[in-house]
Amino acid sequence: MLQDMQNGKKAAGRAGALDYWLILATAGVLFAVSVICVYGMFYYKLALVEQLPPAEKAAYLNTMNGVIAPFIIGLILLLGICVPKRLLPASWLYRFAAALTVSAGVLSWRLDITAALTAVLAASLILQLVVLAMAVAGSRRLHFEKSGYWVRVGSSLIHLGLILFVLDLLLYRHLVLHLFLFWVTTGASVLGMVFCFYASAVAGIFRRRENTQP
Amino acid sequence: MEHLVPLTRFGDIGNGIIWILAFFAVLVGLSGIVNLFRPIRALQRPTGYLLVLLAVVFLAGFAWIGWFHHQIYVRLPLALPANLAQFLNSHLQMMNQGADFGLPLYDAAAPPRYVLPLWLENEKYYFWFMCYALLALPAHFRMQHPRLRAALHILLAVQVGILFGAANPFADPLPNFFGAVEPWFTGNLSPAQRFGLFMQLYPKMIFYYNAEYMWFHPPLLFLSYACITVTFVTSVFMLVRREQEVEKMGYDHARLGFFLLTLGMLLGYPWALKAWRPNWWWDPKICSSIMMWAIYSTYLHTRLYAHKPFMWYFSSFLGILCFLAMIFTFISSFFFPGEHTFV
Repeated sequence: MLQDMQNGKKAAGRAGALDYWLILATAGVLFAVSVICVYGMFYYKLALVEQLPPAEKAAYLNTMNGVIAPFIIGLILLLGICVPKRLLPASWLYRFAAALTVSAGVLSWRLDITAALTAVLAASLILQLVVLAMAVAGSRRLHFEKSGYWVRVGSSLIHLGLILFVLDLLLYRHLVLHLFLFWVTTGASVLGMVFCFYASAVAGIFRRRENTQP
Repeated sequence: MEHLVPLTRFGDIGNGIIWILAFFAVLVGLSGIVNLFRPIRALQRPTGYLLVLLAVVFLAGFAWIGWFHHQIYVRLPLALPANLAQFLNSHLQMMNQGADFGLPLYDAAAPPRYVLPLWLENEKYYFWFMCYALLALPAHFRMQHPRLRAALHILLAVQVGILFGAANPFADPLPNFFGAVEPWFTGNLSPAQRFGLFMQLYPKMIFYYNAEYMWFHPPLLFLSYACITVTFVTSVFMLVRREQEVEKMGYDHARLGFFLLTLGMLLGYPWALKAWRPNWWWDPKICSSIMMWAIYSTYLHTRLYAHKPFMWYFSSFLGILCFLAMIFTFISSFFFPGEHTFV
C-alpha cells in the first residue's frame, strides 16, 4: 500500500515536472516568435516593404513565413504533446511525444510539411475532443494542474479553440468554411476563458439554478 | 463645417471637461507622489472621493463625445443627386460581381450616414484612459496598500496629463475625418468630382467608420490595455516584496485583460479578411500584437507556478514586459508603415 502511494506520488511528480518543462518550452518558443515579429516589424519599415511591387512584397511574406515556420511547427508539436498529457501517465507521454515527433518527421519526408502538420493537428483535435468529453462528464482520470470542474472544462475548450484556430488557418482559401470554423474557434475560446478564469462564479450560477428548480 | 456641425459648442464644453479632469488629476497625482514616498493615512479617503469624481467626469465627457457623434450622424449624410445615384449603382453592381465582400448599393431614400464609433483619432486615448480610471477606482478601494494605490494614482494623473497636453479630443475634433469629408460638404464640386469623391469616402465609411467590428475590436483592446496597466503596477510591487494580495489583484486584472485582448484580436480577424483580404499577416501592428499576446499568454502560464521563488520573479518580470510590449504595440502604429498606420 505504502509502495503504491509512493509510486503514485513519484508519477504525479514526474507529470508535474513535465508540465513545468512543457510550459517553459512553450514560453521559449513564444519568445522566439516574439523576437521574429519584432525583427519583421523593423525590416518592414527599413526595407520599405509597403512600397515594394506586389511580387516583391509577396516574396518578403514568403521569406518571413519560412523564418517563422520552424517555430510554429515547434508550437504545434508542443500542442500535440500538451493535449494527451491530460489523458496519459507521464511514462506513456514520453513515448507518445517521441512517436508523434517521429511520425511528423516521416510524414513531412514522405509527403510534405503541411500534411505532417495537418496530421499532428488532426490527432490533437481528436484527443482534445476526447479530453473535452471526459472533462464535461467529470472524469477523475484526467491529469490537470488545477482542480475544479469548470476550470477543467474551460481549459479543454481553450485548447480546443487553439487547435481549431491553427487548423483553420490551413483552410483560408475556402472562405465560407474558414469563417465558420473561425467563429466556432472564437466561441470555444471565449467560453473556455469564461469557464476557466471565472470558474467559481460559473459554478455559483449553475448551483443557484439547481436550487431554484422545483 | 461650423454651419453643419456644432464644433465650437462641442469644443467649449469638452475643453471645460478636460480642465476639470486635469484639476482632479493634479490633486490625485500630488497625493500619489506624497503617498509613494511617505504614506499618509489621512489622504486615503479624500483621494478615494477624488477618484470617484474623476470617473464621473470622465463618463460625462464620454457621453458628450457620444452626443457629438450623433450630430454627425444626423447632419452629415452622403447624399447624391438622382442621376448620379443611378450611375453609381450600376457602377457598384459591376464592382460587386465576383467580390466576396461588396459595397451596398446606394439608397436615395436613406443616403449613407456616418455611424462613428466613440474611439476615433484622439478619442481613443480618452476612452483608453477612462477605462483605466474606471479600473483604478475599484482597485483603490480593494487594496489597503497606500504605496500601491499611490502608484495607480500617479499613472492616472500621467494619463490625464497626456490627454490634456497632447491628445485632447475636444480641442480639434476628429481632424482626419473632417479633413476627408469637408470637400464633400463645403466644396463646389462637378458631378464627376462628386462621384470620384464619393468612391473615396464610401468604401472607407463601409469598411472602416461604419464597420460593426469597429464597435468591438478597438474598445476591447483598449479595455485590455487598461487591465495590463494595473497588472504592470502590481508586477512592479511583486518584484519588491512577496505579497499574495498584490499578486492576486494583478492576476485578476491579467485574466480579464487576457480575455479582452484575445477576444478583441480574434474579432479583428474577420474584419481584416473583409477589408484587406488574407495578405496582411506581416503587418507590423499584427506582429507586435501577436508578440504582446504571446508574452501575456506566457505570463498567465508561468503564474501557475508563482509559488516557486524563481517563477514569482519571472512572472512579475513578464507582467512588466507585457506592459512595455503594449506601449511598443501602440506606438508602432505611428512609426511603422502598414495597414494599421495611425489607427
